Amino acid sequence: MLKNYFQTAWRNIIKHKATSFINIFGLSVGMTAAVLIFLWAQNERNFDSQPDQKQIYRLTTRVPSIGWVWESTPLLLAEAIRTELPDVQKTARLNTNNLPVVSLKGNLFYGKDYAYVDDDWFSMFNYRFIAGSTTAFNANPFSIILTKSEARRFFADANPVGQSLHIDSVDYQVRGIVPDASPNSSFQYKAFLPISALLTNPKIRANDENWDNANYITFVKLAPGVNMERATRKINDVIKLKGKASDNVPVSMISLSDMHFETEIQNSVFNHGNKNTVLIISLIGGLLLLIACINYVNLSTAKAGLRAKEVSIRKITGASRSDLFTQFIGESFLTSLVAAVITLILVRFFLPLFNELTGKDFDFRYSLPILLQVSGVTLISSFILNSIYPALLLSSFSPINVFRGVTILKVKDNTFRKGLVIIQFIVSVILIAATLVIYKQMQFIQQKDLGYSKSQVVSFALPFTINRDRKNALLKTMKQELLAQSAVQSVTTSNQPLVNMGSACSGCADWAGRDTSLRPTIAQLSVDEDFQKTMDLKMQSGRWFNRNTSDKHNVVLNETALKTLSIREPAIGQQFVFKGDTGQIIGIAKDFTFKSMHDKIGPLVIFNNADWRSYFAVRISGNHTREALAAVETVWKKNLPEVPLEYSFLDEQFSELYTEDTRTSHLTLIFACIAIVISSLGVFSLVAFEVEHRTKEIGIRKILGAPIKGIVSMLSADFVKLVFISILVASPIAWWVMNKWIQNFVYRIPINWWMFAIAGVIAMLITLITISFQAIKAAMANPVKSLRTE
Amino acid sequence: MIALKNIFKWYNVGGNRNFILKDINLDIQQGEFISIMGPSGSGKSTLLNIIGMLDEASEGTYIFQDQEVFRLKEKQRSQLYKDYIGFVFQAYHLIDELTVYENIETPLIYKDMKSSERKAIVADILDRFGIVGKKDLFPNQLSGGQQQLVGIARALASKPKLILADEPTGNLNSKQGEEIMELFKQLNKEDGITIIQVTHSEKNAAYGSRIINLLDGRIDTNTTL
Repeated sequence: MLKNYFQTAWRNIIKHKATSFINIFGLSVGMTAAVLIFLWAQNERNFDSQPDQKQIYRLTTRVPSIGWVWESTPLLLAEAIRTELPDVQKTARLNTNNLPVVSLKGNLFYGKDYAYVDDDWFSMFNYRFIAGSTTAFNANPFSIILTKSEARRFFADANPVGQSLHIDSVDYQVRGIVPDASPNSSFQYKAFLPISALLTNPKIRANDENWDNANYITFVKLAPGVNMERATRKINDVIKLKGKASDNVPVSMISLSDMHFETEIQNSVFNHGNKNTVLIISLIGGLLLLIACINYVNLSTAKAGLRAKEVSIRKITGASRSDLFTQFIGESFLTSLVAAVITLILVRFFLPLFNELTGKDFDFRYSLPILLQVSGVTLISSFILNSIYPALLLSSFSPINVFRGVTILKVKDNTFRKGLVIIQFIVSVILIAATLVIYKQMQFIQQKDLGYSKSQVVSFALPFTINRDRKNALLKTMKQELLAQSAVQSVTTSNQPLVNMGSACSGCADWAGRDTSLRPTIAQLSVDEDFQKTMDLKMQSGRWFNRNTSDKHNVVLNETALKTLSIREPAIGQQFVFKGDTGQIIGIAKDFTFKSMHDKIGPLVIFNNADWRSYFAVRISGNHTREALAAVETVWKKNLPEVPLEYSFLDEQFSELYTEDTRTSHLTLIFACIAIVISSLGVFSLVAFEVEHRTKEIGIRKILGAPIKGIVSMLSADFVKLVFISILVASPIAWWVMNKWIQNFVYRIPINWWMFAIAGVIAMLITLITISFQAIKAAMANPVKSLRTE
Repeated sequence: MIALKNIFKWYNVGGNRNFILKDINLDIQQGEFISIMGPSGSGKSTLLNIIGMLDEASEGTYIFQDQEVFRLKEKQRSQLYKDYIGFVFQAYHLIDELTVYENIETPLIYKDMKSSERKAIVADILDRFGIVGKKDLFPNQLSGGQQQLVGIARALASKPKLILADEPTGNLNSKQGEEIMELFKQLNKEDGITIIQVTHSEKNAAYGSRIINLLDGRIDTNTTL
């Protein structure tokens, strides 16, 4: 029986090649999108999973007086906890603030994804060693453990264990090799060095052993059954005992399982996910799968007329309804299975692109078990969606009606099919509208007047390991040397790059007439006298700093500061105390965007103290980019031969602020394309069947003198109506969703009705093109031919 | 074998009853070869469909092999015709996606027969009808006569006691038609299969043992040859 069914199914697929192709291809595309999305979502939801995940916590430092929340804690806390609290089985610390300088074949570079960890790191997080072990790593400070791919980078295929690497002008011995971090790990590091190595630097040691400095991320593993709140209280007791009792800096704990979706940390070193994003993207994945399945259902029921004869014959020769139901269920399963196989091939093919889009690193072979799981779930859900309705419909035919020529498909089935088409187009229109809104917002970000000029500026920083006197000397000499280069237009130094300024203080300023209850958080920017010129900042009133030292204690404010701090008028000349330095307000700069457009521009104090500065910004003259970069490199090598140079362009830094948004924009565009392609495929074949069904009618109409235009519009009218309804339903939904999304930006475009109108027009145009292809062909056909075949 | 008592069949058309069959009373014995004749619209096919249990009468009693058909449940009824009845159609009604062999095999599949058994039966029939060489062809690769031959072969595969044929030669030329009618006659004589055919042709009707003439839904004449 199975063989008979299989053969009928297979020969049906072959016989209707075009529609079968559309059917299976559309299904595969939808399934591929769904599988990739579910793979990602599954990864996000299972971050840092390990058997004892629930027992592991990360400590969080809170400074409630100024609203700071850090994931870092003092160095000595872990040891204190371990000795004082038997409830804590294990502690592990992490430091990624210090970037080691690695030398490879004479080139220096920063070990960017290198982490300093302590003895129990590897046992806490269940690292599996490919070679070597932690024993020697823990015993000797100048040790390093590499991931497999990082080891290959240094040593190719040679055995790395026992070899040495030149780091920070010391030789580190390779003690072990661990696998590359899995995509669901928060710890995406390529190499590990012992914290004890970091502490061999007396300056760092002195700094970090101070209980006031929180530079280490501490993980604790509680004994099974230990209450987290009690443990937190005890840890706070330990801090009070060790730290300065005057500072009320409580510590809290977050479970390793919750860490990935944590939102309150300022400047986290980990990549965090967003639960809502995961939910929305999973929902889109489900919808894409749904519209692909709708195609299948619509095509199978549209084709039902063709299968009616077979169904009737089978019934007359003795098939029961359940026999036929089984047959069509089986057929759906076969189609879904073929689509699933194609899906796996497509996934394999598109995985690199997907990795690029998501910034993840899924490996096909490594992810295969999860992929198969996810594909299995997708296959089953698509199978259920695909099979039941068509099978019920097809098995319901009564043979006597079929042979009598009674129309098999009732109006009800047509309405059902139309409803499904509407769902497809609702999803498509929402995604197109979303793409448009996001695109407009991204364009707005690119084109908004920032108040400074970001193009042709390259910036780099002096390492913070060098002492203040040498740094201040370098600021002067390197600036002079850079200015001597013809490719350099101007040079300025500051305490941070302009694009995204994080440095701020609270309660550090005073001025005449200050409301004493007011302790606003003020952004702080230390600059030299050339900053305004180099960055092209505009002044509202007053002047910028002069070259002479008389401005050393003076400040420039931005317009927002003038307003929010309620400075007395006239502002220029007012006394202003900043960080204990008493000076004057000498100028008001026009507001410029010094943060991402997600955040509001706040009050800013620009001051002139050179001790703070370590960043260079170099404006390149004309398009001498290459010469300018060469000049920067020469000057750097001459003054700091022992440190690698890392530079970046201001506009790159600017783009990085919107990495997530760019990703969203790309993903939405892709989702919209997939949705519209699948929906169009569906419409394409539905029209094809419509044409087949109405060949005779079209022929008669033509003989009666209907023009081609009339027939095309007759065939299109129905679908145009459906798309129109979809647009009406989709627009308010899209408006609601996008309005929510755009609230993420403080500086944003207004959402206009015409964005939805354009989305509607796009969907309508695509549909019309799809339909006209078939409709014109049918309308042009010779009516004599079509009537004869009847 | 078959007893029809006071069979009426009507459709409601706009409040009026449109009668297709009016008070049909008919007894058919095992081994008969009956031809139903009559002008278009006289109810021939409807009568055949009722006998074949594809359609139900609006009123009346139908007894088949001592069972009252209209009182049976759907399942029992389909079991009944699965076991006893084979159909042959004017338009052959073969499954286009299946080969000759597979078409003939289909009814056996629904009888839950074992594969080896099915093979033997199909091979036997193919041999008897002389179409062994055509077993792997698809219906559209055959002539009309050959297709009807396959249609009859399929009807015979489940060893029915009764064959219902609705204008079996309607789409065939006269030579092919004659061959099919000869085959029916032979099946009736040698295998003792009861045959009821609907036909327009006097000549074909003459192959049977009894001719029933329908006119406007009533039995007009009932002639034993």
